[in-house]
Amino acid sequence: MTAFPSPILEARNLSARYGQVQALAPIDFQVGAGELVAVLGPNGAGKSTLLRAILGLVTNAGEVAFMGAALPRRNPVAVASRGVVLVPEGRGIFGPMTVMENLELGAYRLKGREERQRRFDRVFELFPRLKERLGQAGGSMSGGEQQMLAIGRALMADPKILLLDEPSLGLAPRVTDEILETLGVLNRSGLPVVLVEQRAPQALKLAHRAYLLSLGRLVAVIDPREVQSHDQLAQYYFA
Amino acid sequence: MDSALIGQSLVSGLGIGCVYGLIGIGFCVIYNASGIVNFAQGAFVMLGGMITHVLLVRGQLPYFAAIVLSVLVVALLGVVIERLVVRPLWKRNAPMFVMILATLAAQIVIERLTFLAVDDQPKTLPVFTDLPPIMVGGVAVNIQSLWIVAGSLAIVGLLALFFKGTRTGKAMRACAINREAAALQGIPVHGMLALAFGLSAGLGAIAGIMLTPTQYTAFNVGVPFAISGFIAAIIGGFGRPFGAFLGGLTLGVVQSVAILSFGAGLKTVVALSVLLLFLFVRPSGILGAAK
Ligand SMILES: Nc1ncnc2c1ncn2[C@@H]1O[C@H](COP(=O)(O)OP(=O)(O)OP(=O)(O)O)[C@@H](O)[C@H]1O
Ligand SMILES: [Mg+2]
Repeated sequence: MTAFPSPILEARNLSARYGQVQALAPIDFQVGAGELVAVLGPNGAGKSTLLRAILGLVTNAGEVAFMGAALPRRNPVAVASRGVVLVPEGRGIFGPMTVMENLELGAYRLKGREERQRRFDRVFELFPRLKERLGQAGGSMSGGEQQMLAIGRALMADPKILLLDEPSLGLAPRVTDEILETLGVLNRSGLPVVLVEQRAPQALKLAHRAYLLSLGRLVAVIDPREVQSHDQLAQYYFA
Repeated sequence: MDSALIGQSLVSGLGIGCVYGLIGIGFCVIYNASGIVNFAQGAFVMLGGMITHVLLVRGQLPYFAAIVLSVLVVALLGVVIERLVVRPLWKRNAPMFVMILATLAAQIVIERLTFLAVDDQPKTLPVFTDLPPIMVGGVAVNIQSLWIVAGSLAIVGLLALFFKGTRTGKAMRACAINREAAALQGIPVHGMLALAFGLSAGLGAIAGIMLTPTQYTAFNVGVPFAISGFIAAIIGGFGRPFGAFLGGLTLGVVQSVAILSFGAGLKTVVALSVLLLFLFVRPSGILGAAK
């Protein structure tokens, strides 16, 4: 395993099940301060389940610690309040509500007006397009804009770590590049990021480390400098 | 037929329609927050009038104080039902129909307890202002109907402000749209559900209090009102609070005109006919069903 800074998020023996079906075998998973960690794997590998288990959205066992203290295992609201913010698969936009309302709800737990404005300004700086669409219903925007809104909404919470589940899903390559680039910018500003992606090459360009999952199991933890293509990744699955 | 008579029954239809509408909004608020159809809604309507009566007659409280206190008590009871009945089931991932049955059980328990605590006699409340009816173009409009219409419109307006303009109201809407995404923003989704029960219960109580002076209340009036409110919510487009209010007005007016034409015995038949008509012709309701 490659060296990484002291872990900010640390899961031990984390497993998850849907009813009787185990969707994620016990896994150790770490994110270091300032790291961007990619989670890769084919459909059904358990990538979403891993993120959902960290948040406590799915029945899970094991321990998860964040910034040195245990995270509750069955209380997503409490986990989110600790600054662990997930942009879920499918984005979870509040479709009938306006862009403005969606962003406001991201900062639900914040009371201070000035701080709220500061966060709005930061989101608009990253996604100028959102500023032009404040009155539009979130659900009526294009896929790419909705993903920007989902990330913008997550940033309104001022996350201490940002988890994203396939932000590129259903988006054109150019929009994907734009969004991944923004994630890179955020990460370089110090925000730890966990990025679930099927487009491995793009994710590996950004990532400091990558976890490779298949059929609900951890296959490998890899150093992106050593792997750049799908073919090279495939070797791990057959190893 | 006498046009003044028709005018009068339209006015009283609007009054009772407002009440159906408020009860229907109560159904929508809880349904949106949880997917639960709350069968205890009728108990809140009954308790509103009943508790006000008890505070007024036995407690000797001033009328206005009795009303306010009654609404607060019933709203609190709504929160308690969410905590005691709904939440434990929810946490155990109980199927939806189990939670709906649990609210029906709560309805029955409240009804029986009220029967034991008070009695089975009908009770009434004084009209809010003791003034003679005013004449509008030959139609005698009783003042309590005006109170009901004005009060209901004011409440609908306040609700719109709450849902559109306040942080908590927006959070409740977010829970209705996508509960999981709301939780991921740190919105306390269980608290929002408790609030939805409190709000619906308070609305039901207000409906019951406004209505009691023109009718009466007794331990068993809840279910018929709940059914009317439920029909109002369906014909308005289930899950659409404003639609439920329009649905209530529609139902109230059609019902009172029909009573005039066919007699009061067909009241329920008319209500169910309106429902069936909507289910056949426009099943998604006046405004179209939510979600
Ligand atoms: N709600 C559910 N109920 C039952 N099984 C589920 C549920 N969600 C996921 N699973 C199962 O868990 C396993 C892992 O699914 P998961 O969604 O985590 O995969 P994934 O890696 O995110 O895939 P994708 O790339 O398609 O999003 C799959 O076998 C899937 O069928
Ligand atoms: Mg997935």
